Amino acid sequence: MDGLLTEAFLSSLFTGAIVAAVPMLLAGLGEQMSEKAGVLNIGIEGMMLMGAYMGFLVAFKTDSLWLGFVGGILGGLMVAIAMAVLCVRLGLNQIVIGIGLTLGAEGLTALLHHFQFSRTYPRLPVPERLNIPGLTDLPVIGPSLFGRHLIVYLALLAVIILALLYRRTNLGMTLRAAGESPAALDVAGGNVLGIRVFAVLFTGAMAGLGGAYLANIGAGLFVPFMTGGAGFIGIVLAMLARGRPFWVLIGSLIFGAALSLTTALQVAGSNIPTDVIQMLPFAAVMLVLVLFGRRAKLPSALGAAYERGAR
Amino acid sequence: MKNLLISAALGVVLASPAFAAEVDTIAILTPEQGSDFGWNQQGVDAAKAAAEATGVEIIVAEGLGYGDVRAPMRELAAEGADLLLAHASGYNTAGPEIAEETGVAVAIVDSPDALTPGKVADYTLSGHEGAYLAGRLAAKMTTTGTVGIVVSGEPPSWNAQSAGFAEGVQAENPDVKILYSVIGPAAYSDAAGGNRVTTSVIAAGADIIFGQGNGSSFGMIQAVESNKATDGSDVLFIDVIGDKSSLDKGHLLTSVMWDMTPVYTAMIEDLKADKYGTRSYAISLADDSVKLIKTPQVDDAAWEDVMALREQILSGEIKVEPKFDAAEVRALVTLAE
Repeated sequence: MDGLLTEAFLSSLFTGAIVAAVPMLLAGLGEQMSEKAGVLNIGIEGMMLMGAYMGFLVAFKTDSLWLGFVGGILGGLMVAIAMAVLCVRLGLNQIVIGIGLTLGAEGLTALLHHFQFSRTYPRLPVPERLNIPGLTDLPVIGPSLFGRHLIVYLALLAVIILALLYRRTNLGMTLRAAGESPAALDVAGGNVLGIRVFAVLFTGAMAGLGGAYLANIGAGLFVPFMTGGAGFIGIVLAMLARGRPFWVLIGSLIFGAALSLTTALQVAGSNIPTDVIQMLPFAAVMLVLVLFGRRAKLPSALGAAYERGAR
Repeated sequence: MKNLLISAALGVVLASPAFAAEVDTIAILTPEQGSDFGWNQQGVDAAKAAAEATGVEIIVAEGLGYGDVRAPMRELAAEGADLLLAHASGYNTAGPEIAEETGVAVAIVDSPDALTPGKVADYTLSGHEGAYLAGRLAAKMTTTGTVGIVVSGEPPSWNAQSAGFAEGVQAENPDVKILYSVIGPAAYSDAAGGNRVTTSVIAAGADIIFGQGNGSSFGMIQAVESNKATDGSDVLFIDVIGDKSSLDKGHLLTSVMWDMTPVYTAMIEDLKADKYGTRSYAISLADDSVKLIKTPQVDDAAWEDVMALREQILSGEIKVEPKFDAAEVRALVTLAE
């Protein structure tokens, strides 16, 4: 453990934590809105994967990372539309449909990748970074925290905007009412199904953007199943965050750091067996669930389809 | 008496191994498409070359995943394949079972103890000698004094190469630090993980990355292209098994290339001679089934030195023993501070 707390260890830790945290942050923020509105969006992994594929495809074809992000949003929306129609409009089981959509997206994107890219494995050009003057040059944390692609800073901005939206706007109140007491919202003249559809589509857009980040910035290419459960971790983050976007941010950084720690400990020459080190992220999930899971407050109508007049 | 003699003669005929088996068709099963510029592609290409060299037909079953392959193996056996090349360590349980069940010879990897005459052979391949040379080259060319090994798992073949690389670095310059990181327990196709881990290793000081990782290699390469070394120089990448030079954007230093054609050819010949399952197969520098490729990024003087070292290995002057255990790899790289 001689290498702990050295510049090499800390640089490795911070750099890896940010790279790993951003996709989970975007997915978690998206999932949070669905859950607030009463929809348990298990299909978020599929939305992320479709976003990764579409994001890469568009970026590759247009030579534009930003159009790639738009493609990623559209990819996530494509799966989210199916979720909205089947679960919100038709009232089908959210868990079953969510799993089905995820499996479907995995198969479809793997098939498309096979026909389009599996013989060439094209890669995107290196993304440009936004270096914040004065801060990027700070030792250890400078390049890690202040030399990132603009989308990273926009993701942080989204945290603030969503926090304000939930606390200060009617839309935030309506979303909460759709999840806590949809019947009351309906009686008050609110459109329960409409707001739930909006929330599911927003989730799809954010998950798709997270997937596109993973493909375009995180890897520079698309490979099948590349989300590797980041969407599911987003669900955990949203559940533990008790409706607060800042907690999603903190949670994603903790999970990102846990993932990065697996690398940093190895880089530091730790004598801990690799298998033990690799368990750290999962141990962190378990620990967080034990410490905070019981206090996770979920909306009363989460997972239940809403049908006007039904008891 | 006559019946007794006939029975005895028939018994000798049936029991005799002297009659060569007829081999018309072989089949290779791969977990991913044979177009990954790595393990799967080299396997498929080599099987085709071996089939052509020995005059047999070949069936290629690609992209079967890492799950249960018993059904496609039975199907290929039913289609008339005389040899099944189960080209993934995840197939090592199913392979011997299918060989026992169908009587068709099966080749599996990373299982030297599984040899069964006539049924199961092993090919635990390792380019450790090539990796040793790559390590010597890396130690000559590093400018930060730190190199990194990034792997997407710790199968025996890769452990042997990681160890060979580390030994090469230390033999060339014991002052060079060697950072080692595993992406995940079986993160063979985790491109994003490959990028994340490689980015971290570069941030920790490495300017040359020795990467082993199937699909995750592409993420490693992206990280190498995206990041500068801590001294501001370009980061270089050393690949394994396949040749990615057609995809290179100026960061590929070399690749420890594998050619499995001699291995598969020997298997077919052994099967024909009824010697199958009596030995394991290997690749080596001696027959060029393991070799380094020279890219424009390689310094000419350093390359000449490395080729001279290759001759020393071939002559036995330098001995590089394979180390298949992950603990042995870690023992070589924990010297990093």
